[in-house]
Amino acid sequence: MEQSLSYFIMAWTDPYLIFLTAAGTFAGIYVGVIPGLSVTMAVSILISFTFTWDVNEALAVMAGVFLGGVYGGSRTAIMINIPGAPAAIAAGFDGYPLAKLGLAGMAIGVSTTVSFFGALFGIAILAAAAPIVSEFALMFAPRDYLLLAILGIILIGALSGESLAKGIFCGVLGVLIGTVGLDPISAQPRLTFGSMALMGGIHYVAAMIGFFGISEVLVQTLDLKKKIIKQKVDKILPSWSVILKHLPLSLRCSAIGTIIGALPGAGGDIAALMAYGHAVRSVKKPTRPFGEGAVEGLVAPEAACSSAVGGAYIPMMTLGIPGDAVTAVLIGALYIHGLKPGPMLMIETPHLFWFTVGNLVMASVFLLIFGLTGIRAFAKMVEMPPALLMPIIVILSVVGTYSIQNSLTDVYWMLAFGIFGYFLKTYGFQIGPIILGVILGPIMDISFRRAIITVRGDLGDFFLDLLVNPISLVLTAATVGLLIGQTPVWKRYAAGRRAKKEAAAG
Amino acid sequence: MHIKHFIGAVAALSMTVAAGAGMAADFPAKDLQGVIMWGAGGATDVVARAVTPLAEAALGKSIVLTNKTGGTGAIATTYVRSRPSDGYTMLYGAENPQMYKVLGLAEIDYDNYYAVNVLARGVAVVVVNADSPWKTFKDLVADVQKRPGQVKMGTTGVGGLPHTVGSMLKTVIKFDVTAVPFDGEGPGITALLGNHIEFIPVGIGAAAEHVKSGRVRALSVVNGESVPSMPGVPPIVADFPDFGKYLPWGPFYGVFVNRDTPDAAKTALTAAFKKAADDPKFAEMMQGRGNVMMNISGAEADTFLTKWRSVSSWILQDAGVTKESPEKFGIPKP
Repeated sequence: MEQSLSYFIMAWTDPYLIFLTAAGTFAGIYVGVIPGLSVTMAVSILISFTFTWDVNEALAVMAGVFLGGVYGGSRTAIMINIPGAPAAIAAGFDGYPLAKLGLAGMAIGVSTTVSFFGALFGIAILAAAAPIVSEFALMFAPRDYLLLAILGIILIGALSGESLAKGIFCGVLGVLIGTVGLDPISAQPRLTFGSMALMGGIHYVAAMIGFFGISEVLVQTLDLKKKIIKQKVDKILPSWSVILKHLPLSLRCSAIGTIIGALPGAGGDIAALMAYGHAVRSVKKPTRPFGEGAVEGLVAPEAACSSAVGGAYIPMMTLGIPGDAVTAVLIGALYIHGLKPGPMLMIETPHLFWFTVGNLVMASVFLLIFGLTGIRAFAKMVEMPPALLMPIIVILSVVGTYSIQNSLTDVYWMLAFGIFGYFLKTYGFQIGPIILGVILGPIMDISFRRAIITVRGDLGDFFLDLLVNPISLVLTAATVGLLIGQTPVWKRYAAGRRAKKEAAAG
Repeated sequence: MHIKHFIGAVAALSMTVAAGAGMAADFPAKDLQGVIMWGAGGATDVVARAVTPLAEAALGKSIVLTNKTGGTGAIATTYVRSRPSDGYTMLYGAENPQMYKVLGLAEIDYDNYYAVNVLARGVAVVVVNADSPWKTFKDLVADVQKRPGQVKMGTTGVGGLPHTVGSMLKTVIKFDVTAVPFDGEGPGITALLGNHIEFIPVGIGAAAEHVKSGRVRALSVVNGESVPSMPGVPPIVADFPDFGKYLPWGPFYGVFVNRDTPDAAKTALTAAFKKAADDPKFAEMMQGRGNVMMNISGAEADTFLTKWRSVSSWILQDAGVTKESPEKFGIPKP
């Protein structure tokens, strides 16, 4: 224990390590802010950059970039409705409406405090229960990933806006976009029309930047003379009462985020979407309706995607299995520094575990400091004249898209999606369901087929598995419950019961 | 004007110098892209990420690595082929493309590529979860034969290492299993740890640490003799001597560029990766993960690749899993 503590504070006593963590977190926030510059990419680049460094120094700067980057993505999502990273998509659902109300400062303040809280929650679970959680994550079978994705895709109902039919259309469109390319199991081309450029599929970040970024620019360009909303930036730090009010939701969403982060097949983007869905269903009386600036709709995804960072470290530290794309790269970094990530890592190099925990805690503290100090300048960004802001967004979108995989095809896709997205928005179609389909569609596809192959094509066995396995049973029950809960019959029944209860009480 | 002349002279001079070094000075002029055909955390990925910084040092430019998974690497392979042949997009590949033609996965294989470096060759090992009742490879085979089609084997898709080893087994003995595909060896091992599959043949590199921890049991190494990185694990020929005709066989890891890449770029890349693979730190890491260092390129690598292709193609043909006969592509019997 004493030894663990000494490793833990190692990151806190060396000024150079403190500096590196601070620099990493700071850089990470800005990597996160720019759409297309991903944390995965930044950490990959850092591997080469830190090749000759001491392993602790390399890990310190990478942990900072990781945490800062996951947090930074929500800034642009809140202010200009363009998520800087897939994990920030859900933060824009209610964050952007808040900015439209002139509350961008408050929204970022909430997002920062909640991210700090979520990050600490994930790290605490990493420190206290890593082996248990990683065993739990291993138990997730292909069918469970399928159920998780279905649970996520039901969220389309909440994101559809005025018309569920339009929402479902958008969701299916997203799933279709996700299926383009070589089929992941049999490598047969799907929807490629013989084109080489379509073989590799359409990168979901290109779709995200197009649908959110360019289409938003087009919408706003039509109204350049629109009165700029003055942002209130005098009260950024949320009061204790606000924090306490959202504490139960933050806790629940952090738990969701940590577990989904720990799953080897899902990361912060899915965690944030699931948490948003959870908030929509569980919060009966939000501050404003969801989608129109509910603080709960911002708290939930922010807590989840930050706690997913600690979660992603769990299988990485205990089993050498990446919990998401970034930890996969971190595992490579450990190999290159002569360590052997795997189940023996914690036994052979225990200091590494506690050093990482201490380091992540410090990165969270810097996240809070840098997050809260830069808000004023950031919030002013929204007050920039659109004639100045819009071209900057277009340039960042093009550069960001190109840098995903140095592909010009992605840029064309991004622009096409942007124009298409503009027309969709004009006719009352929502963008959220499309992105949901693009992200979750491929997971549903491959998980379903894996699950079916596992039972040798026997549908009876497939459904039996859903009921006899504890994890599958819980997920199946949640899915079925949600589906029934959405039917008109149930809604009428529930409304009737509520009316009776109120009549009895009053 | 004087300045222009001067610049011209300097340029001419540097060109003569560069010509001596095979024009290596002109390449690379910008950062490079490396496309890894397997998922992050898998054996190919780790090898790629270990060798790249050393090659970057030799090249003086960054190599931006991306994982492009799917279709047993066919997505990455066809993608890199579709990129300009300027040497700036490299394929970090494993053995899989050598089977694409017969499996009908793609029209191309390493014939379309120039081998910058075939870094190392791995040895496959058949592993089961430590909870598994099977203590030896013979136990596993007996159970598979008793319950044909019931035992779940993890694969990485048709033509991947687990699938090929499975096909070899099918041609040597009666071996009918259900193959469940995953995105790579890392996710395959993860599924094994979670008991979602019952056994999986993987490269020693992906399994070594899990075997050491005792969570996973190695039953047999797919090799002519035991290997030092898997002490006490019998070679497959001890149980099934007929397997010997395919051996030595194993996954390999290499760096490739389109074959019609200019010679200057080929020379520069080959020199850089040769230097990288010579690094004792890299070699030590590779051997620690159960690999045999190769570090060959160009014609020498072509000989190895061609022989490898004929062994594997005909194994698949004999196993009846090919879509096209190797004869159609002029692939000779080994």
